[in-house]
Amino acid sequence: MGNTLLEALNVRVEGSGQKFLVLAHGFGTDQSVWKGILPSFTPYYRVILYDLVCAGSVNPDYFDFRRYTTLDSYVDDLINILDALKVDRCAYVGHSFSAMIGILASIRRPELFTKLILIGASPRFLNDKDYHGGFERGEIEKVLYAMEANYNAWVQGFAPLAVGADVPDAVREFSRTLFNMRPDITLFVSRSIFNSDLRGVLGLVKVSCCIFQTTRDVSVPTSVATYLRDHLGGRNTVETLDTEGHLPHLSAPGLLATKLRRALSR
Amino acid sequence: MPTPVSAARQCLTEEAARVLDDAVAVARRRSHAQTTSLHAISALLALPSALRDACARARSGAYSPRLQFRALELSVGVSLDRLPSSSRALEEPPVSNSLMAAIKRSQANQRRHPESCHLHHQIIQGQQQTTSLLKVELKHLILSILDDPIVSRVLGEAGFRSCDIKIAIIQPPVTRFSRTRFPPIFLCNLTDSDPVQRSFSLEVSGDENSRRIAQVLLKKTGKNPLLVGTCAIDALRSFTECINKGKGSSLPAELAGLSVSSAENDISEFVNGGGSEDKLGLKFKELGSAAEQCSGPGIVVNFGDLKALIEESVSGVAVSFVVSQLTRLLELHGEKLWLMGAAGTNETYSKLLGRFPSIEKDWDLHPLPITSVPFNDGFCSKSSLMGSFVPFGGFFSTTSDFRIPLSRTNQSFTRCKLCTEKYEQEAALIQKGGSTSSVADQYSESLPSWLRMAELDAEKLVDVAKTTDDPEALNAKILRLQKKWNDICWQIHQVQPKLDISHARFQVPSAEDFLLSANRKEGSSKDSSVIKSQHANPSSSMPTDFQKVFPFEQDIQIPVASAAENRNFQSELLDKVSKSQQIEMKSPWFARYPTPNLSLPPDCASSSPVTSVTTDLGLGTLYASASQEPDSSKISGDKECLQNFSGSVSAEVDAVSESTSHQVAPSSSCSGPNMGGQSDIRDFKSLRRFLAEKVCWQDEAICSISKAISCCRAGNGRHRGSSLRGDIWLTFLGPDKVGKKRIASALAELMFGTKESLISVDLGFQDRVYQSNMIFGHNEFGCSGTNFRGKTVIDYIAGELRKKPHSVVFLQNVDKADNLAQRSLSQAIRTGKFADSYGREISINNTVIVMASMITKGDRTFLSSKEPKQFPEEIILKARRYQMQILMECIAGDSDRSNGMNVRVTPRKGFLNPKSVNKRRLTETRDSMVQGEIFEMPKRAHKLSRSYLDLNLPVDDLEDIDYGDCDSDSISENSEAWLEELFDQVDENVDFKSFNFDALAGKIVKDISLKCQRSLGTKVVLEIDYEAMVQMLAAAWLSDRNRAVEEWVEQVLCRSLAEARQKYHLTAQSALKLVTCEGTFVEEQAPGACLPARINLN
Repeated sequence: MGNTLLEALNVRVEGSGQKFLVLAHGFGTDQSVWKGILPSFTPYYRVILYDLVCAGSVNPDYFDFRRYTTLDSYVDDLINILDALKVDRCAYVGHSFSAMIGILASIRRPELFTKLILIGASPRFLNDKDYHGGFERGEIEKVLYAMEANYNAWVQGFAPLAVGADVPDAVREFSRTLFNMRPDITLFVSRSIFNSDLRGVLGLVKVSCCIFQTTRDVSVPTSVATYLRDHLGGRNTVETLDTEGHLPHLSAPGLLATKLRRALSR
Repeated sequence: MPTPVSAARQCLTEEAARVLDDAVAVARRRSHAQTTSLHAISALLALPSALRDACARARSGAYSPRLQFRALELSVGVSLDRLPSSSRALEEPPVSNSLMAAIKRSQANQRRHPESCHLHHQIIQGQQQTTSLLKVELKHLILSILDDPIVSRVLGEAGFRSCDIKIAIIQPPVTRFSRTRFPPIFLCNLTDSDPVQRSFSLEVSGDENSRRIAQVLLKKTGKNPLLVGTCAIDALRSFTECINKGKGSSLPAELAGLSVSSAENDISEFVNGGGSEDKLGLKFKELGSAAEQCSGPGIVVNFGDLKALIEESVSGVAVSFVVSQLTRLLELHGEKLWLMGAAGTNETYSKLLGRFPSIEKDWDLHPLPITSVPFNDGFCSKSSLMGSFVPFGGFFSTTSDFRIPLSRTNQSFTRCKLCTEKYEQEAALIQKGGSTSSVADQYSESLPSWLRMAELDAEKLVDVAKTTDDPEALNAKILRLQKKWNDICWQIHQVQPKLDISHARFQVPSAEDFLLSANRKEGSSKDSSVIKSQHANPSSSMPTDFQKVFPFEQDIQIPVASAAENRNFQSELLDKVSKSQQIEMKSPWFARYPTPNLSLPPDCASSSPVTSVTTDLGLGTLYASASQEPDSSKISGDKECLQNFSGSVSAEVDAVSESTSHQVAPSSSCSGPNMGGQSDIRDFKSLRRFLAEKVCWQDEAICSISKAISCCRAGNGRHRGSSLRGDIWLTFLGPDKVGKKRIASALAELMFGTKESLISVDLGFQDRVYQSNMIFGHNEFGCSGTNFRGKTVIDYIAGELRKKPHSVVFLQNVDKADNLAQRSLSQAIRTGKFADSYGREISINNTVIVMASMITKGDRTFLSSKEPKQFPEEIILKARRYQMQILMECIAGDSDRSNGMNVRVTPRKGFLNPKSVNKRRLTETRDSMVQGEIFEMPKRAHKLSRSYLDLNLPVDDLEDIDYGDCDSDSISENSEAWLEELFDQVDENVDFKSFNFDALAGKIVKDISLKCQRSLGTKVVLEIDYEAMVQMLAAAWLSDRNRAVEEWVEQVLCRSLAEARQKYHLTAQSALKLVTCEGTFVEEQAPGACLPARINLN
């Protein structure tokens, strides 16, 4: 089973070194998003790269609309991959959606993770009584409707917004991977993302986390980073990146790589 | 961002491209700005097509087909009307992103299911063809277009369901094939090790949470789920409902018949003081007996929200009672009884744990994070999309339906006339039993190499078949031939004719040779004549020089058989070569530059070396005479083609090249030194003269640079393997940033004609922040950090190299290279190919790569800091474009007049005032790591020169220097090792001296003094502030002309001094001070120097 899964999700292990490092990409991208960062780590880590099942680079046949209704199935995938690779300890870098997955995976298998690095993470995107997640439910409905009505226009509007910083190459790259996803899958996954709420379970995380937050992120307000720090169960730090946007690994790979390396060595 | 139609068309098969054209026509008619999926649908519906056919079969029976089609056309029309029309009509409205994405998706899908594609695709894939040649078939295109939400909505409006249509498209109308449907391959199928999961995922409808709860219930320990999370309460309720409503069938078999009893209300009533202990005890007893009596696996006791137990209002005693009761219940009936509850947040649970530390063990709890509400909550289920896609997951894998019989493919495929003719000829030949290798062989030469290899394979097959002479084999042969010709025809006449021509052009000369010698050693004159005639065609479009080369080649090929003859010929040829060499010697030295071109990959060079020599010589003259950009770039592109090609062919002809290589080697190697000896001196001298004109103070460095370059170009340079490499690698080590840069740009000018051919990149740019108005700032100094924001450095370099392959690449601060750049550079110096971060390689055969670093090779210390200097380079590098002004003040005595000069420079502030130094250090430590090419020098140099305070670095801040590059020591050591290795491989390591600023300062002061005396008289003292002096030095250093600062002194300073004299009444006691105005920057710059055009008077 392991090999089929590894093949289906394009799992790659790159680099040399003793320790494992998982780089997990977020929604709308695939593992290629790490290419600017990867070379900084391959000399020191065995870097595990994989695609989420919803990524455009994975055969859409594998996306089971009945199974991937909650994040837990994605967590299953991650843990299955790590088990198949016989990884017993690893550091985990997760972006956005994958940050959520990392949180849940570390709850389920705390012994597996030495450290979580959460980039642009949010336990919940919707606002609540005493929680500011950045989105109102009405807004989300509108966004999802826009997605359904005209995927094309939505991507074109969303990509620059998400990238934030004025880096045309990054926008192009993000648009590319976003377009690679089958629209219905995109829609389905974004629904399940907006539908999820990790706030109640953050305390169950015992692994120490480092939260990376850019100065301005359309999807994640800065208050969320503080919220995460205060509520995650382990020893946590917030690291502010001096750049803008939700995708620092595309817009400022050099900066992120150095910060990551420092965070990992701590 | 939309894609041009032509680009999109290239991804499509002919049939699909026709549909695209129709769609474009629709868009044009409606003067829409883009061609979208809707246009494609409209085009597809207009004609009897697969889509229309599928719709007809997929429609629901409720309406008459005519009516429903009418409705569909209407709704498509209406949606098209809604699209905004563009102001100006476009000839070809470009393909919108969504449609392009659909094309890309179908391409990917086809790649995943190669068995469903046409036969020729298989062959292509077998040869590792790039994806761009994978043509999307109409069927796949339609399927992807149907994925577009907007399309499925339009279809939905007309009463069609896009999933039905898809099924109809996939399943052919005629039921010839058995409709075997494999179960969809979901990931869950793959996870075999987990039986629960598998049996579930195919049955449970939607609710992931329930599945996971059931999973916990099945466990041996920790079997009692405690749902944690904001949505936990909802999930708990949903699970309870699900079980009690008798949907238990969705549970795994072991749990069938499970029931849930809720004790939630009783508990909350009790803890709030509403009931007695007896009542609750009774309830629990009931539950216990229910568990015992139940026939199924047991019951789940739902104790509800934990919040009820920890609220302030409840009494602690009551809660303790509940907990102990539940614990006892579990102890008694543990086999058949589960507990289940929920907690809104982890905090609730922790509070309970705080009160009852053993509860987790007693209750055997398993905290289960719940992160989303059950999916059928209304939030999501409305989506029509979802439903429509669910049954669809696995259909693409039903391969049997896709397979189209081989013969049919061939029949339906129409060859062009030419290919058909050839095919017929060959078929006739086969039937006669004659040789099969003739026409196709030659013809296939014009195919891209990868394809040709396939052909050769096919040929072999045919040959094998030939041995058995029965009619069946003959048929097979003919079939294969047919297929082959189809492919050839397809490749050549219908697809990308341009590309093929370019390939053909270069394959002809060398490929022919290989085949000649390998297959037909007899080398009959007939064969070569055939080839000659073939040459004539493609070469008509070639530069004339190339054509001249061909005869040579023919000549060589024939005598290959006899070695003696061959040698004769070679010597003859050598004569010719040296003759042409001499002719060229007369032309300016740079005419000879292209000799590096000799270095074709080994295989090619060895099999036809003489040819390549002449080719390059020919090219050489071309360079010299025509400095026009387009010409040269075209040739270099072509040459790359040739190289690529030869690489790919090499495998085939290994044997041949081996046999020829030793004959050939002498020719190239003996020609090298010969002409080298001659050109060396000329080259060297002119190079040296030219460089020395630009940078007069680096004699030794220039000398070794000139030597290295002329040596490399004379062919004595780098031999990688047997071949000669065209790329020249130099390192410029040591101080004098400006000198290095200027020499690099002079090299660019000299070797490639313009200064534009300098690609200057600062590898340390990431650590650097240039403040505005620094003299050695951004653009002036080519620290083009801004140019490649968002790109990696090597991608930037690769991009520039692609634009101008003939150039000097100047890499500053090479010691700061990141891992990516390090790897790429090491690879480049080894292989002669520069790879970008995507792994695409560019030949650097015509490139000079100069790597500059402040470190020196030997001792790795900073030369300039060995002795204290008044004006060290680091200070100069930090000079800013300040405005200057002249102040007047009185001085007490005239003790300051020394050396008979009335101009002096104030010492640096740091020397006088330690306090201010400290203040400055704060800012400067930051600067200094950021600044200049100072690698790890600040630290080391500082250790050396601590007593001098030379670097303006405070002692106690030493540690801080490293914080900029947070790399651990191992990393920097690593890069040190890398540097050393790299430096060992380059052609020449050139050490630079530091620029003697002190001497220059002396000269300038003297000059000013002279002029000052002339305009002010001998009595007035002019004091030049240290900063002002630094600024002047910087300007002098940076300026192209030798006398720039002197001119400035003459024109600006003297004028201002004269003005000052008029304004102030100068006495012997008065002193003028030239200072910089910190904070105000130069507004108007003096011509030729970075100095103010005016000096303010106070």
